[in-house]
Amino acid sequence: MTRVRNRAFSIFVACALALAGCRSAHEDETRLVRVWAHQGQEAENKAMREIAEAFDDAHRAFGVRVELTFFPDFQYAEKLAIAAAARDLPDAFDLDGPMVARLVDAGLLAPLDAWIDEETRGDFLPTILQQGTIEGRLYALGAFESAAVLYYDREKFERADVVAPPDLEGWTWDEFLEACAKLRTAGIEAVALHMDESADEWYTYAFSPVVWSAGGALVSPEGDDVQGVLASEANVRALESWQELFARGFAATDPVDPDPFGSGTVAMDWSGHWMARSHLEKFGDRLGVMPLPRVGPEAAAPCGSWCWGVSATSARTEDAVRWLKWVTHPEHGVAPIVRANGAVPARRSAFASFPEYRENPYALFRRQLETVARPRPRTPFYATLTQRFAAALRDIARGADVRSRLETAEAEVQRVVARRRVRDGGVDGSAEAVP
Amino acid sequence: MSLRVLRWTAAALVAAVFLAPLLWMFAGSFRETSALFRGGPWSWIGGDGWTWDNYGEAWRRGALGRASLNTLLQVAVIGGGGLFVNSMAAFAFARMRFAGREALFAAVVVFVILPVEVLAVPLFFTARDLGLTGGYTSAMAGLTLPFLAKAFNIYLLRQHFMALPTALEEAAVIDGAGAWRVFWNIALPAVRPALATVVLLDVLTHWSDFLWPLLVATREETRTVQIGLANLFTQPPVDWGAILACAVMATLPVLLSFRLLQRHLVLTDTGAGIK
Amino acid sequence: MSDWRRRQSRAAVWFLAPAGILLAVFVVWPLARSLWWSFHYADLLAPDGQPWAGGSHYSDLLRDPRFRRAFANTALFAVLVVPLQTTLAFFLALWVNRPEPAWRWLRVVFFLPTIVAMPVLAILWTMLYQPAQGDETGLINAMLGIVGVPAQAWLRDPLLALPAIAFMSIWQGTGLQMMVFLAGLQNVPRETLEAARVDGAGAWQRTRHVVVPAMRNSIVFVVTVTTILAFRLFVQPYLMTRGGPGNSTVSLVQTIYETTFLAQDLGRACAAAFLFLLLVGGLALVQRRLLREERA
Repeated sequence: MTRVRNRAFSIFVACALALAGCRSAHEDETRLVRVWAHQGQEAENKAMREIAEAFDDAHRAFGVRVELTFFPDFQYAEKLAIAAAARDLPDAFDLDGPMVARLVDAGLLAPLDAWIDEETRGDFLPTILQQGTIEGRLYALGAFESAAVLYYDREKFERADVVAPPDLEGWTWDEFLEACAKLRTAGIEAVALHMDESADEWYTYAFSPVVWSAGGALVSPEGDDVQGVLASEANVRALESWQELFARGFAATDPVDPDPFGSGTVAMDWSGHWMARSHLEKFGDRLGVMPLPRVGPEAAAPCGSWCWGVSATSARTEDAVRWLKWVTHPEHGVAPIVRANGAVPARRSAFASFPEYRENPYALFRRQLETVARPRPRTPFYATLTQRFAAALRDIARGADVRSRLETAEAEVQRVVARRRVRDGGVDGSAEAVP
Repeated sequence: MSLRVLRWTAAALVAAVFLAPLLWMFAGSFRETSALFRGGPWSWIGGDGWTWDNYGEAWRRGALGRASLNTLLQVAVIGGGGLFVNSMAAFAFARMRFAGREALFAAVVVFVILPVEVLAVPLFFTARDLGLTGGYTSAMAGLTLPFLAKAFNIYLLRQHFMALPTALEEAAVIDGAGAWRVFWNIALPAVRPALATVVLLDVLTHWSDFLWPLLVATREETRTVQIGLANLFTQPPVDWGAILACAVMATLPVLLSFRLLQRHLVLTDTGAGIK
Repeated sequence: MSDWRRRQSRAAVWFLAPAGILLAVFVVWPLARSLWWSFHYADLLAPDGQPWAGGSHYSDLLRDPRFRRAFANTALFAVLVVPLQTTLAFFLALWVNRPEPAWRWLRVVFFLPTIVAMPVLAILWTMLYQPAQGDETGLINAMLGIVGVPAQAWLRDPLLALPAIAFMSIWQGTGLQMMVFLAGLQNVPRETLEAARVDGAGAWQRTRHVVVPAMRNSIVFVVTVTTILAFRLFVQPYLMTRGGPGNSTVSLVQTIYETTFLAQDLGRACAAAFLFLLLVGGLALVQRRLLREERA
């Protein structure tokens, strides 16, 4: 019995060794590109896998293959950071748009200028290029964009005698408040702002346009300072107007229902492109859409989404760029992923495969991205900034004094900025210490 | 008689207060999200809006198959291996005399203070230097090795060893038993409830680990349960009903190990205490 | 006997070696590394080879209002939780320490919250504390409504948020302490207790003069551990309030976490971790001084 087992065991070992031998011989020929991606919805992950398989098929002749690994969205940034610290970043990875600046600051992303020609660049939406460009150089490209708009229910508007602005003009804030008041009088809840969102990013993403429209900003134009910017007069005025929505009972500070517009209790939805499909399904022709209301004279809209970068320390930059080009290619990358996640295609040539973009709300998404949309601040301390700003917005919605709350947030962010200054200015040559 | 009735009523009331949140969690996992917060204090017991869908949704979106096995292995290694390592050290601190005992023990108490969030980055560097990240075997080692020796468990077990009467051990020593036999045959069996507690706490702690497994895992086959579940909380729409279902599912394995260990815990040990 | 003692100290080495080596590799060495980083401008994305920072991280932290607030919050949390939880657990242990099966069930009931993972409970209690919005409200407001207490915005009110989190934490942790006390109760000498009863001592006197002294070690253990665990507060406020409203629930560990992963200022984060360790370590040692254990 023992002998038989031993025999079986040695056969097993021999086979295993042979297999291992085969595999290593095989791997010598194919170059493996390690790729990390955040885990999206199921359909999105499936599409990503198919894109990767298609990439492998198409690049067999070059001897290139990708190894695609998903990590949960939650604390993905932490995962990337510590991999970077340990010099263990994959060859290519996706990251949220506003995080690009920090990785560039640490010298971890390879510039793509040499790899992407002018014609290809011209095909990307301008916001995608802005999002990936730091100090004049391109570091990241995405396959899709995002948009936020104000959806409304025509039928509820009619009942409350509210008239939507013509020609997809956005409302001024006063017009918006007036509409809310009318709805309220008609016994209809006015607007959903999704204040139940647990992630900080929703707040910065959705409500920065309020600040921008009033001529405010989150960081200085150079992106290196928040002193006197975050708590500026314009920001205070903008967010005091925003606060009125809660103070006058037009929007809930602690909603329970994640989609009150969809369930028919609310007349307007301040939300993103990701709700377009389900809203259209539920409301059909009753669904109206307009740009976000503005506090000042400037129309503003948010944008930005996940994008792809290539590690500066990758030993296979060329192959990693091949992957990046593939996954942002209008047919190979953009079309399948957009079909899966319903985001806005990042390339103009890809819109041809999506006829819905001839009509609203989709047409409005594209129009905003081509004209008034702005990326969130591109600055190395973005992570702190967005967290403190979001915390301030939560408190302001619940009645905190706008000016002093913004001043606290400003001081807290500036403290992080100041430490970075001390480090960079304190000792010469610290920049060289970053490989 | 009336005193007894009073006592039982009080017990029932206090138990109800303690249990209510967990019962609400269980009931809520079978409710449609829209029915969760409506209709007054008792609606969660009666009322409409009952559904099974939350469980299907949570299971599907969490993708729990392989991840459950990984977590089980991780928890088993930490719970089992840690038991030996920590009880030996605890016994030494409780029963043996050696130079620097007090100082060393004070150091252990100080280590109890450190939560993993504080030590994660340097610990990750150590794990990387020792080759404990990356492939399956090394990642599983990376998930378990750093948590075998645990200051808290040493402290807890020492406290129980110290509480044991010394008579039995002294008798054994006089009979010529070595330190190991005293430890293994006499002291260890006597602190069985404490050992069960320690294992249970290990299971509980590491079952809910998130940050460390995420940092150590670089491949999908090394993923643990909480990482699978995290997807549920972060992918919109946030669906409270499904989250409750997922909370119940995440609790079941711990409940099961509690059931298995329960016999050994002081909790149900009729032999306990002042009668 | 001196021979036994020599043998003992040689055996001690072997008993301590496994845990000692593991702790040295996975706790002491990482700690030493972070001590080194805490004196440098270590960047999370490029930790090594950065310029010397001296004590500037430490002095900056001590002047940082958010860090100081975090310390105050964490200390307040400990002050709320330690005495209440210890006392509650002690009396629950005395209460349920009876042989009938029903009381055993009661022990399990008190222990159950302990075995549910904290992140799960944090999310659960966020729902229970849900403030009133129209006709919808969380269970706690609904229950208090029966007694006529007006609905509160528990986690949204700067004054109520930390106590609300402390309440939830006490509910969660009491069961474990109760179990330690139950184990300790086994050491109470039954003869002394009987004698006290015969002498006519009431329940309160018996508890004070017989039970408490006999359980001294258990009490020291529970107080020390609860204090330390209270200072490690992180998951509850991080998931339930994100440190808000304002900075009213931000905890020390949260500031360390954020400095590491959001500001990615590793040097400063390590300095914060050391300040944390010094503060809590100092406190634990003072406590041990004050509440000397009886030596076995």
